[in-house]
Amino acid sequence: MSSLISRLALIPFFFIINLAQAADQRTTDILAEIDDLWRGKSSYTLATLNVKTKHYTRSMTMESWSKGKEKSLTRILTPLREKGTITLKSGNHIYTYLPKTDRTIRLSSGMMMGSWMGSHLTNDDLVKESRLEEDFDASISFEGLRDGGDIIEFTLIPKADAAIVWGKITIEVEATSHLPIKEVFFDEDMNISRTFTFSGLKMMAGKIRPSIMRIVPIDEPDEFTEFVFDEMTLDIELDDNFFAKSALKRL
Amino acid sequence: MNILSLSLRNTGRNLQRTLVTTLSMAFACFIMIVFSSLMEGMLQGSERQVVEMNMGDIQIHTKGYLDDPDIYAMITDTDTIIDALERQSLNAAPRLYAYGLLAANMASAGVQLRGIRLRHEKNVTKLYQHVEKGEWLTQNSKKSVVIGKKLASTLGVSLGDELIFVGQSSDGFMANEIYMVQGILKSVSDGIDRSGVFMLEESFRELMALPTGFHEIVVSRQDRNADLDALTSQLQNRIPQYEVKNWRQLMPVISKMLEGADAQMIVMLIITYVAVASIILNAMLMTVFERMHEFGIMKAVGVSPWQIVRLIYAETLVQTIFASIVALIFGWWASSYLQLHGLDMSSFMSGSISFGDIAFDPIWYSYITPESLMTPIIFLVLIAMVAVIYPASKAAWIKPIDAIYYR
Repeated sequence: MSSLISRLALIPFFFIINLAQAADQRTTDILAEIDDLWRGKSSYTLATLNVKTKHYTRSMTMESWSKGKEKSLTRILTPLREKGTITLKSGNHIYTYLPKTDRTIRLSSGMMMGSWMGSHLTNDDLVKESRLEEDFDASISFEGLRDGGDIIEFTLIPKADAAIVWGKITIEVEATSHLPIKEVFFDEDMNISRTFTFSGLKMMAGKIRPSIMRIVPIDEPDEFTEFVFDEMTLDIELDDNFFAKSALKRL
Repeated sequence: MNILSLSLRNTGRNLQRTLVTTLSMAFACFIMIVFSSLMEGMLQGSERQVVEMNMGDIQIHTKGYLDDPDIYAMITDTDTIIDALERQSLNAAPRLYAYGLLAANMASAGVQLRGIRLRHEKNVTKLYQHVEKGEWLTQNSKKSVVIGKKLASTLGVSLGDELIFVGQSSDGFMANEIYMVQGILKSVSDGIDRSGVFMLEESFRELMALPTGFHEIVVSRQDRNADLDALTSQLQNRIPQYEVKNWRQLMPVISKMLEGADAQMIVMLIITYVAVASIILNAMLMTVFERMHEFGIMKAVGVSPWQIVRLIYAETLVQTIFASIVALIFGWWASSYLQLHGLDMSSFMSGSISFGDIAFDPIWYSYITPESLMTPIIFLVLIAMVAVIYPASKAAWIKPIDAIYYR
């Protein structure tokens, strides 16, 4: 009798633990989905980059290849003045091939916070583009209707040992499709630093995906950097040698 | 009694004693002259190092540029300002600044790029004389740069090597160009040593896509003794839209340090002077006490105490004047030699070193001012006069009988 009562008393506990595990699993799954949205195991994309700042407005087209999260290579196609400029990310290093001087240089750590191609992204953003669930403790902070849409909001707090410059990141995804709507980056003082918004849903690589990513720095609301994905192929065959430093000049 | 001729005869009577006294005074005075001109040289040297190598006396920027060196924060009416400054017989040089990466082989470093107008820069700073290897920029060095000493060793480059600059031009493009190392500077200041890259204005404008304007105007005075603060506020009133600051305001720490050095040098001078004073005092005491017997006889034949005081003072004066002349001749000669050739300290320090924002040259130059020559001489005369008060009064009022038997 007493054993039965104790067993019954334990049931809610199991229930709670299972629920928590299920919620964690869901978070991990959705974040992985977002991670793989533009990446897959490997990828090829053709994109347009539009940058507007107080002092200039410019537009570039570029093609890029990636393999896993460690390797990526981006080549500028237009404008003519920068055609052939290549940015190679290999592990934690960034190399730039400059066709004008026909040289490849490795960016020093001092340059990592510098702007990439005059945009609002830093070189560091390219390197630190890591898998969300590895560097952050994620949890669902909101679920339900917001601004007329059914959404799930995740809050990501960097793990203590992760080399992340942000205080936290919130990610809003559409509840059923799990497509990202908005990412907000907070600095270490928990002030909003910049927002990423996603729009332009379009069929790419066999799936509906947002094709426009717009980055707005909070201190300059009139400025923005916008990536427009024109073409995307996922899970293509790419050799590791493709991302070798020595290969830069051949391209 | 003619005191002057008597004192001359007295000093001539025991030439050996007079010579020893005079030469010890002259030597002490000589040391003081050389020491004070060396000290003056050190003071002037560190200030000149700051002003003539980089800062100038006064700098003009757009408001806020100093806190946030934005490439778009330009002084637009540079030529008008420079013309006005030159009409006031001030030298002025405009400069352009940009930041980026300088790479050589596989090494790279963050640098501050400086675009300069050669003709003007030469009037304001002496950087062109401060090249360790190679040579300073010329009108033809469109594809060449002169770089700081530590930067050269960080990148592992020497003369004629190739450097690639990468940065962001003003129109948002990737600015990149190959340059050749034309010169490597001596140690100038920490900033320039580590990250200074100098190039011609034209090359800079092409690289960074900045057709007009400047980031900084450096002003230097021809008359180094003019009031710097007054000049600063006068310029500020004339161009209120810009920020006018003198080097003391821009580098308060260094300025304070130099002022502190000034006080330290005065203390060191006082210590040397006191040491020298004891030599003079000793010499004068000996000369008088040695002749106590003689003064006793003079008193016995009816010379009044005041006449003896005047006699001793006259003799002292004759000797000090002679000592001063000797000290001045040799002190001036030695100081001007050191002003020209300097004291080579390179065996104590390796090459030129920089500490904070001042670079120290291993050669210590003296600097002759009227003060550094005259102060030791006036001091010598004063000390000698004070030193003989005691022996002179002792000789003047001693009883003749005691003096005759004085041992």
